[in-house]
Amino acid sequence: MTAVAAQKEGTGARILRVLLTQRIALLAVLIVAVVVTFFIQDAGGYLTASYDFDYMSASLISAVPLAMLGLAELLVILSGRGGIDLSVGAIVSLAGMVFGFAYGEWGWPLWAAIILTAGFGALCGAVNGFLVSYIGFPALIATLATYYAFKSIAIVINNQEPISTAPIQKLFSISKSVELPLFGQYVPDIPLGIFTFLLPTVVAVWLLLARTAYGRRLYAIGTNDVAARWSGLPVRDTRFKAYVYAGLLAGLVAVVTVGQFASARPDAGVSGNGMALPAITIAVLGGVAITGGIGRVAGVVLATLLIVWLNAGILLAFIGNEGSQYQLLALGAVLVFAALLNGLTNRRYGGTS
Amino acid sequence: MSTVTATIRHRVLPPRLTGQEIVLAGVLVVLWAALAVSTPAFLTAGSIQPLLVATAPIALAGVGMTIVIITGGIDVSVGGAIMVCSVLTAKALVGAEVSLPVAVLLSVAVGGALGLVNGVLIAYGRVHAIIITFGTANLFMFLGLRIFGSGTVNGIPGTLAFFGRGAGGRTLGVPHAFLITVLITAAAWWYLRHTAGGRHFFAIGGDAQAARLAGVRVQRRVLLTYLITGLLVGLASCFVIAQGTSTLDQSVGSGKELAVIAAVVIGGTSIMGGRGSVLGTLLGALLVQSVASGVTQLGWRSQLSDLFVGVFIIVAVGADLLRTRARRSR
Repeated sequence: MTAVAAQKEGTGARILRVLLTQRIALLAVLIVAVVVTFFIQDAGGYLTASYDFDYMSASLISAVPLAMLGLAELLVILSGRGGIDLSVGAIVSLAGMVFGFAYGEWGWPLWAAIILTAGFGALCGAVNGFLVSYIGFPALIATLATYYAFKSIAIVINNQEPISTAPIQKLFSISKSVELPLFGQYVPDIPLGIFTFLLPTVVAVWLLLARTAYGRRLYAIGTNDVAARWSGLPVRDTRFKAYVYAGLLAGLVAVVTVGQFASARPDAGVSGNGMALPAITIAVLGGVAITGGIGRVAGVVLATLLIVWLNAGILLAFIGNEGSQYQLLALGAVLVFAALLNGLTNRRYGGTS
Repeated sequence: MSTVTATIRHRVLPPRLTGQEIVLAGVLVVLWAALAVSTPAFLTAGSIQPLLVATAPIALAGVGMTIVIITGGIDVSVGGAIMVCSVLTAKALVGAEVSLPVAVLLSVAVGGALGLVNGVLIAYGRVHAIIITFGTANLFMFLGLRIFGSGTVNGIPGTLAFFGRGAGGRTLGVPHAFLITVLITAAAWWYLRHTAGGRHFFAIGGDAQAARLAGVRVQRRVLLTYLITGLLVGLASCFVIAQGTSTLDQSVGSGKELAVIAAVVIGGTSIMGGRGSVLGTLLGALLVQSVASGVTQLGWRSQLSDLFVGVFIIVAVGADLLRTRARRSR
């Protein structure tokens, strides 16, 4: 039936169907559209600074925490049964303080401090996972509660003071840009954090989801909890681990954030809008179904690039803090648009991939 | 015979007071007693009245949020909506020097319009509420910040003092803002429990498909819940302006959506939909605010109260989970 329909539809209809059902294709087209738009604006002299490959590359530094937390949300949302993690921003704050103590005050070596911070993040994630998976709390509630708890502890633990001792301030080099070896002079310099944190994380999460039995189990329990249990899968254990991994990623983001600010701030992950909302937005925009079981690493990465390059352009198109205001508009509009599109696609083609 | 009728009636109608509400009320009494013992200043009018005034906006927005969550939805755009309503109203108070009724009407109308946007997108776009309201939260914040321009709104006149902490905001010692909140909560309690329309919300939250087949106009009812929330958020924004000084800064409404959801959840409303009560929400908001007030009066760091909020959520929902499990296994 579908084969017959596919033969009959014209080229235009086919392109439309691919764009609507393949989120990756749609995101790629949108990225090209955004970049071309700003290049044209740049050529016309409408921007306050030039929007070129160097600028796009430098702006990638803000993609590091965004994409990593987006991947954390991907894991958690994939696990199904209303999976979501509102506490990632609070974990970033709290783990950042732990990193500040270990590296900035106790004088631990960097590698040990990073391992401690990641482990601490995983522990925070384990609290979420335990509540959600073993006790049966709705994820929204459990992570709302831990959001409040972690946020509060992070602020109280050091009397609201940030830690910015000498070793922490030197960490700022994480967000420096480096020239690539061999062909470096032909392409723009790329922020170091991309290689030290983002790329390894992306590869690790992709391997976890696409190349391990755990990944298949995660998709299985997210798609149908009951069926997975009756097939003998360790449903609770699998879901628990998804929250632990999300916490671990948040712990790593804490290290990146401390480096970026050159200071361990107690409100790093929760100030203003917080980090959890943008991360969930990125995940949904990347085609992760909020009901669980559907979502890919590539979607999250492309969604991050779209938002980062869109935001970078908006900053140049408006003067002063108007830019950051229009970023809110862009994020909100893109999210509502993507959500409505998902609904439309589901009705018209019966599912998105 | 009469016992049979009583049982059936009991099954159709939820109990007037749920166990959660009784426990919450008990916890409140114990907490207040403990605070009264440790800081004698706590149980004075000068301490209780500001507490009630501060509870009012959260509890009022919580009435709408409770209905939304009963239908199985959620609204995380409340903080953004409070920002838009309060900055617009504050600007109208400063610029046009509008009177109290006009200011309230304006705020409520703006809130209603924002709620309508949420409602239409969620009910007719058939997208999960949390995604849409995450999106509209960003849009509302954009709107609010644009209206703010740069900086704060200064020199707000005392037109809204009727809702404030001052002597003009009380009748017989009870703050008007709290009184209005209690009245609206009582009306919502009666509507949800004793009218067909109110029961429809529970039906939608229990099983939207079954509700549709039973003749409930699901989309229209869902739209209505977000509209109600918007209208109440509009009124709550007036309380927020009245509470503050004559200055309104850009952090207004920030994080309020989570505070409202926390109050609703502590009050025993199930996030899965189909179960909940506005009375619990009022008690939940009161508990959260009492803890915040107690923490400051004990001289602890004010941010420590967030830790207690987290613990309360875990305990309240955890107790409910255990009770449900025990009932099922019986």
